[in-house]
Amino acid sequence: MSTDKHLPDLVIRPEFVNENIGDAHTGDVARELSLIEKIWNINGVRKATVLLGLIVVWQAYTVLMDVQPLMFPPFTDAALRLWEDLFHGDLPGKIWFSIKVLVYGYAAGMAIAAVMVLWGTSSRLGGDFIAMATAMFNPLPSIAMLPLAMLWFGLGTASLIFVLVHAVLWAVALNTHTGFKNVSHTLRMIGENYGLKGVGFVVRILVPAALPSIMTGMKVGWAFAWRTLIGAELVFGASSGGGGLGWYIFENSQNIETAGVFAGLFMIILIGITVENVLFRNIELKTVNRWGMQRS
Amino acid sequence: MSNMPETVVRAEFEADSLGSAGTADVARKLSFFEKLSDMDSVRKFSILLVLMVAWEMYTRISGVSELLLPKFSDTAVALFNSLVYDDLLIMIKNSLTILVTGYAIGLVIATLLTTAAIMTRFGSDALSTLTAMLNPLPAIALLPLALLWFGLGSASVVFTLLHSVIWPVALNAHTGFMSVSDTQRMVGRNYGLRGVPYVVKLLIPAAFPSILMGLKVGWAYAWRTLIAAELVFGGAIADTSGAQSGGLGWFVFSNQMELQIPAVFAGLFTVILVGVFVESIIFTNIESRTVRRWGMQSS
Repeated sequence: MSTDKHLPDLVIRPEFVNENIGDAHTGDVARELSLIEKIWNINGVRKATVLLGLIVVWQAYTVLMDVQPLMFPPFTDAALRLWEDLFHGDLPGKIWFSIKVLVYGYAAGMAIAAVMVLWGTSSRLGGDFIAMATAMFNPLPSIAMLPLAMLWFGLGTASLIFVLVHAVLWAVALNTHTGFKNVSHTLRMIGENYGLKGVGFVVRILVPAALPSIMTGMKVGWAFAWRTLIGAELVFGASSGGGGLGWYIFENSQNIETAGVFAGLFMIILIGITVENVLFRNIELKTVNRWGMQRS
Repeated sequence: MSNMPETVVRAEFEADSLGSAGTADVARKLSFFEKLSDMDSVRKFSILLVLMVAWEMYTRISGVSELLLPKFSDTAVALFNSLVYDDLLIMIKNSLTILVTGYAIGLVIATLLTTAAIMTRFGSDALSTLTAMLNPLPAIALLPLALLWFGLGSASVVFTLLHSVIWPVALNAHTGFMSVSDTQRMVGRNYGLRGVPYVVKLLIPAAFPSILMGLKVGWAYAWRTLIAAELVFGGAIADTSGAQSGGLGWFVFSNQMELQIPAVFAGLFTVILVGVFVESIIFTNIESRTVRRWGMQSS
């Protein structure tokens, strides 16, 4: 009976009756919420309050503390400046310039990525090339290519587009290629069973099956491209003719019109939110969410 | 039953022309060359080699101007020279110091924000409003403001780096914490975990894939922002603290200004090398020691 040695002694606790427990009584199981509680439960209201609170704090801080408007203008100044430049100034032209360059660069980057990934799926050499190139160029910030681009393509939109292509291409190619590789064999065999080959196979089987991953790539590519564009315009905006949003900010900061800088930042935020929460959100809702590949 | 097609009964037949089944290569020894080209690293390395040779050949044969595209060999020599004789190493150190400072402070602030967001509903709303607003704002756009507030110096760069790190990290960590399953939460409570140990021992490991994702995105943005900031205002930042400062971006920019194109390429190589090192060595190692070892993410 050597095993018994390892077992602790059994302790038998004495039985007892707890005298101090009061009667059970029912608390609020369900009750009408007051109007304030109901309003506070709406998500939008709480978020709007946060926003409003920030704006009020900003305004109060700048007005009450007598902060130099050159250093930190009141919110109202920035908003007024945005309103004026948007409706009576040249801001719309600058926004249009930025967006045009962005769309060209993005479209060109996507097209090149598509060709590259097609090559990558059809041959092992192509796959290796993509793996190699993305590992090398993805960590390289595309803005670092700008000095070279300006040397090769001159001071103009062409260099901006070259840098944007570089920003979009690798993120999209990497994610799409990984997505294609992870498409399950069952889906592939179904496609082959339907007699799909070549481009038809890619368009009808691989692309829909890998769409969540492709969407991720497109979103990352957009984020990098947007950051690169603003950065590039900040640096060399004037030389590329017309100048965009980044140039608008730079110009205002050089003239120490800080309200204008904030107006530019507001505009950048608005465009960013529109693209991310309206454009990409809608594409996702109509594709991957509708197909049940991703929960909303 | 007019909708049904008529049943066609095909005539039976025997195929006479089938040859006897011959056994093909079911298994055979691979030749040495085939074995070699089956190795991943050999194929990738040869692609790299071919690219380099193509570059060298192109520049030698087409006689393209040295100022537009220098020879690969010149670039390699320039890289070696800048590393050994010039102060490229110091510049790498300068860049990394600023990067690490900004990244570390950014992580601390992101942690505080996320903590506030987990504890209260109001904090969560505040965080999601802030991230929705500030995440799409490129950090580099804040640099002009930062220069105004903090002057020409590394403080401004650190400020923009903070901005590029905080939002992606806080956003991903918050999403990760919110999606920890109730089962795991209850297991934690069953063990009697509360407060900080509950977060450290349960929530963080459970949300780690998402947190790591945030760290990687934050690093990518910070690296891009840093190089851009140094490209734009590198000179201004460098001038305040002596000649031997300025980072990698400044190295690229100043060499481009002096038309030292081989050195520009050398700077780009260095940027790639540092990026590859952080992404493929540091983050991959963290991944393989945590989420992959714990079976939360397949390689």
